[in-house]
Amino acid sequence: MRKKLRIYVPFINAGMQETTTYRVNWLFYMFGNVLGCFISYFIWNAVYNSSENSTMNGFTMPQMIVYIFLMFLTSTLVSSGGTYDIGEEIRDGSIAMRLIKPISYNATFLFQELGNKAMTICILIVPMVVGVEIVRFNFTGAVQFNILYFLLYLVSCVLAYLINFFFNICFGFIAFVIKYLWGANLMKNCIVGFLSGQTIPLAFMPEVLEKVFLILPFASLNYTPVMIYIGMYNGTTLLYFLGLQVFWALFFWGLSKLLWSVSVKYLAVQGG
Amino acid sequence: MIYVENLRKEFKKTVKEPGLKGSIKSLFYPKSEKVVAVKDISFEVPEGEVLGFIGPNGAGKSTVIKMLTGILTPTSGVCTINGRNPRENRKSYVKEIGVVFGQRTQLWWDLPLRETYGVLKEIYEVPEDKYKKRMAFLNEVLDLESFITSPVRTLSLGQRMRADIAASLIHSPKVLFLDEPTIGLDVVVKDNIRNAIEYINKEEKTTVVLTTHDLADIELLAKRIVMIDKGSNVFDGSISELKNRYGQIRELHFDTDTKNAEKILSYGQHFNFEPEDLSVECEGSQMKVRFNSSVVPVSEMLSYTLGKISVNDISVKDADIEEIIRRLYKQGVE
Repeated sequence: MRKKLRIYVPFINAGMQETTTYRVNWLFYMFGNVLGCFISYFIWNAVYNSSENSTMNGFTMPQMIVYIFLMFLTSTLVSSGGTYDIGEEIRDGSIAMRLIKPISYNATFLFQELGNKAMTICILIVPMVVGVEIVRFNFTGAVQFNILYFLLYLVSCVLAYLINFFFNICFGFIAFVIKYLWGANLMKNCIVGFLSGQTIPLAFMPEVLEKVFLILPFASLNYTPVMIYIGMYNGTTLLYFLGLQVFWALFFWGLSKLLWSVSVKYLAVQGG
Repeated sequence: MIYVENLRKEFKKTVKEPGLKGSIKSLFYPKSEKVVAVKDISFEVPEGEVLGFIGPNGAGKSTVIKMLTGILTPTSGVCTINGRNPRENRKSYVKEIGVVFGQRTQLWWDLPLRETYGVLKEIYEVPEDKYKKRMAFLNEVLDLESFITSPVRTLSLGQRMRADIAASLIHSPKVLFLDEPTIGLDVVVKDNIRNAIEYINKEEKTTVVLTTHDLADIELLAKRIVMIDKGSNVFDGSISELKNRYGQIRELHFDTDTKNAEKILSYGQHFNFEPEDLSVECEGSQMKVRFNSSVVPVSEMLSYTLGKISVNDISVKDADIEEIIRRLYKQGVE
């Protein structure tokens, strides 16, 4: 197993170097994301200011702010570009170059992306967490940071990333059938954004929908880690949601293996 | 070593009628048709041989290579290398082969070239000392030293191709597939690459399957040719066999003072040539006669020509392989 993993270490390394090659692009990307985050902050600000109640569906204004920024941090940490990458490789036929190597197709993507991500994680996580804690301190007058919750949050993020990665891989294999994924990917991002609580907290949904959404894998992507961080899940609830994350991670891992073995037979390498 | 029998590959292709109207129509009623890229191909390659795998554009060469390298699944038929099926247990299979697709690269686009080799070393689990020796060897053969620290995207095509060939050889594969390794390269680089391939074939008994449109590659490297067209075998044998079978074409060049020489000679009528066995070009006093020497021997053609008209300068040329292949490509399957 260790020997097997060693094969993929250079992919992490290469992924990191790739990110640093286009530094300015990376900075713009991060800047755009932060900007989007502030847009939703101002929208919710307006919503709370025009409302008579100071609490909406159990969220106070400060809680909402914390939610928005944590959601931004989480979705950046667990984001995965697998769908896009696979789609592109199938569209231009370069998937052939990956297939002639004695390595697992999925694993190369996984480790390369971890490398790509390493820098994002290093640069983003400390200022975001500090910022969120300052906001919480300001409103409550006490330090809210809980190291246990924070560690559980990190565990949950890793699980969420694995779910997202393998889900995206599964989705990417659609490209074997439809050849080009740009449109389908856009649709997927919208739906996932909504179902995972990225746009609106799931608590804002009607009760029946909320229950359904919480079981679906998408809530495991962003909602569960954020809820763990702000201490909404405790005891058995916490274990239940972590367990659900493990289940979905295994489910999509298995599905991606199955889909890979089926779809590779239909592969038509385009061009050349 | 390599064994291919009745290999066939079909693709489904969406057909679109021309123009915007056709595009909209195919958006709602997509029509697809079956395309047979490889119809029925069989050949064998013994260990240590260099096989020239040729055919006109669209003949199905690349598709066959892709099936042999385990990228595509054949619709039917058998292809095995060392008795192993590329589609079964892909990971251990591809460890024994090296592949270069001239139009693609397996190098890491944004990283210095050296990094790609480092990654490949780990992928193929090459031990450190072997890797060092191997890199020294490849550097000597392909001359990588001057650009090994440059990012791949900044390499010239010739450098990239040499780097790609080196990348496919790091793990000392038993079989090397080269799909158009000299495409778009200048004469010197082509020579370098040919020498490298020849050297590696001789030194390490590497079996090489080479597809190319540059027939000099074939003449210099391949002992045997498999020619395919429209997805079927057209020819399988050595270059001299090819010349014997199709190459009885000779070219007669001469300079004459006689006017209307072409009419006076009228080879076609005199010798009863079939149209494909004879072509006559006349430019001023220069004449170029291409004929099939198995119909009329060269000596007879010469004495007939010299007897009929006055000739200043005459020469007979062997048809080169290029001419033979041009004829074959034009005719299609015989």
